[in-house]
Amino acid sequence: MTLGAVSRSLRRKVLLLVLAATAIALGLSALGLVIYDLRAYERQWTNDLNTQAELLARTSAAALSFGDRETATRDLAVLKVRPRVMVAAIYTRDGELFATYAKPFVVNPTFPARPEADGYRIEGDELLIYRRVVEGSEPIGTIYMRALYLPWDRLRDYLGILLAVMIASFGVAALLSGWLQGAVTDPILEVSNVARRVIEQRDYSLRARKTTEDEIGQLVDSFNAMLAEAGRRADALRESDVRKDEFLATLAHELRNPLAPIRNALEILKMPGANPAMLEKARQMMERQLAQMVRLVDDLLDVSRITTGKLGIRKALLEVQAAVRDAIETARPFLEARRHQLEVQLPSQPISIEGDRTRLAQVFANLLHNAAKYTEPGGYITLSLAEEDDQAVVRVRDTGIGLAPESLAAIFDMFVQVDRTLERTQAGLGVGLTLSRQLVTLHGGTIEAKSGGLGKGSEFTVRLPLAGAALANADPEVRRLRARQSRRILLADDNADFADSLAELFAARGHEVRVAHNGAEALAAAAAFNPDFAFLDIGMPKVHGYEVARRLRDMPATSECVLVAVTGWGQEDDRQRAREAGFDRHILKPVDPAEIDLILDSY
Amino acid sequence: MRSPRSLRVLLFLAAGVAAATAAFGQREATESGVKAAFLYKFANYIEWPANAFTSPTAPLVIGVLGADEIAGELDRIVPGRNVNGHPVNVKRLKSGDGAAGVHILFVGKEQGGGAATVRAAREQGALTVTESERGLETTGSAINFVTAGERVAFEVSLDSAEKSGHRISSRMLAVAKRVVPRS
Repeated sequence: MTLGAVSRSLRRKVLLLVLAATAIALGLSALGLVIYDLRAYERQWTNDLNTQAELLARTSAAALSFGDRETATRDLAVLKVRPRVMVAAIYTRDGELFATYAKPFVVNPTFPARPEADGYRIEGDELLIYRRVVEGSEPIGTIYMRALYLPWDRLRDYLGILLAVMIASFGVAALLSGWLQGAVTDPILEVSNVARRVIEQRDYSLRARKTTEDEIGQLVDSFNAMLAEAGRRADALRESDVRKDEFLATLAHELRNPLAPIRNALEILKMPGANPAMLEKARQMMERQLAQMVRLVDDLLDVSRITTGKLGIRKALLEVQAAVRDAIETARPFLEARRHQLEVQLPSQPISIEGDRTRLAQVFANLLHNAAKYTEPGGYITLSLAEEDDQAVVRVRDTGIGLAPESLAAIFDMFVQVDRTLERTQAGLGVGLTLSRQLVTLHGGTIEAKSGGLGKGSEFTVRLPLAGAALANADPEVRRLRARQSRRILLADDNADFADSLAELFAARGHEVRVAHNGAEALAAAAAFNPDFAFLDIGMPKVHGYEVARRLRDMPATSECVLVAVTGWGQEDDRQRAREAGFDRHILKPVDPAEIDLILDSY
Repeated sequence: MRSPRSLRVLLFLAAGVAAATAAFGQREATESGVKAAFLYKFANYIEWPANAFTSPTAPLVIGVLGADEIAGELDRIVPGRNVNGHPVNVKRLKSGDGAAGVHILFVGKEQGGGAATVRAAREQGALTVTESERGLETTGSAINFVTAGERVAFEVSLDSAEKSGHRISSRMLAVAKRVVPRS
């Protein structure tokens, strides 16, 4: 088997591993055994022969003593039962041969001329032994023996046995590895097969079969869990795709809606005989519809922000009534188209909150729109605003199709529409309630839906925390007075048109204004002018807005000045940077004069 | 080499006495010399009665009756030797002497029909050795020297040995020419 095959096949690896382990274990144990045995063999064999010699010395002592060669020869003859003893002899005390013995097949047996001292030695493949014969305490002769010493034969026997054991072990090892394959590699192969089929067929419902409870079983479980997860994600992706397709179609439709009134308004503007009131109305309508389009485009962005969790709001002090009025204005055409009757209950006293007027109007308009949409034409819709427990509470009630209890939670999920059978023209974007909930949450408020059941109408309630108690409870008279107060305002923006037009707006309201066109000018002007408010562009030449803010904060004369960042970037990062630089407020271009009024009024 | 007869015996005993001469490293063996050596060696293969020795170092006495030549050979062999710690003494006896204190009594053939002497000595606890060509049965002794071909051999009567309270090693019996079993 080639190396490549080995590295590819788990099965062969297992087999090799088992065989190698078996071979090494057997080899080592055999080596140990052989070494031990070769040492033991010499000791045993010499001990054995020594014992034999000792026995012979005892039995032949009398024969030697009394000169009985026949008996001595007979004594030696017992050695014929010892197959390895080749020759033996008895010498007299004088060293003369007294009796001899040789195996019948030993041709011309030879004997040493003289016996040697007691002991043994190994000569080639023979073991030689000399042993004195003693009678009483007197030596009377010597026994001599020569025996085969064949450790290599023994070694060969061992190797033979080892070989047999090895073959048997390898057989067993092969069987074992076969079993291991069943237990280990089969499930893994199964997993691998399923994985391949999943990739080929895109079928995430396939599952690997679990056959064991061990780590491999766990692997199979994990694999199946991963498949399930991948399947879920694939489904989610598919579904999200479908929703997005629907969404895009709806979006296109919604974007076209404001264009009709704008075109109508344009026609009015072009009419030669139009009176100023009509022209003003047309102009206002165009403004509203434009705002609606801007909002729709913003919605698009919001969708992506919701998806990425980056939806943000531009907080400012505002009266809830204003947002509600905006919403009514936005929704009115649709309400009228559906011939609904709208009842609005607004308290005369302003309710102030800190929030994003456009966003809140979006929320309320959404609720109105939904109410109109899910109520049969000619329905009755109520919108009420009230102050309850430091909260501004807006309720939108209708007499429409209502909601089943089980749908109450789901309706705030993205792209969910209660009645899928509705025609597309009525479907809207399907993001309304999701966006609404997100927006209300960003304002620190809550939104909830209630319904007596299908056909019994529904009620949506938005709760928003009031702005700081002092402001909320402030005497309207004080605030009016404040508004009349003249403020010293520094404007800094490298866009001269923007800066100058804004300056005129402030001047018209009775404020004292200075204009700077870059950061350095702004710092110089601030030092001389000592403003109450500084509206600073961020992206100015020479010294940018952040740096101007920092320096103004450091200067004693302007350390108490209210700093407002005026930028085109409204991401949370930008707001964070502005706060860190020392800005009190952050407003976005294009600037809404009302927002500026609110800021001026708050201090 | 002191007499033609000695020479003849030497020729006779050529191989047979080799062991004996080897054992003692002496001059050429004579028949008397061989017999003397055997007498001394028998002591190694005898199991003595418990009361045979007064102490572990008490001498072992070989009595010789009517065989001066053998007694003389023994005199030369035994000095400085011992059997299991017992030094060996040679005691020359005359006809009529009792066998008291004698462990091995050799009755030479000059003594003639020594059956009565043997019997008397046996009763006194001596192991009796004779050299009758007519065999053990005539002398009643425990051991009797005979000539076997060209060498000195011996016969053993277990019956007689037992009567004097001795047991003879099977190793010695293995080289005996004839063993008379117990009756």
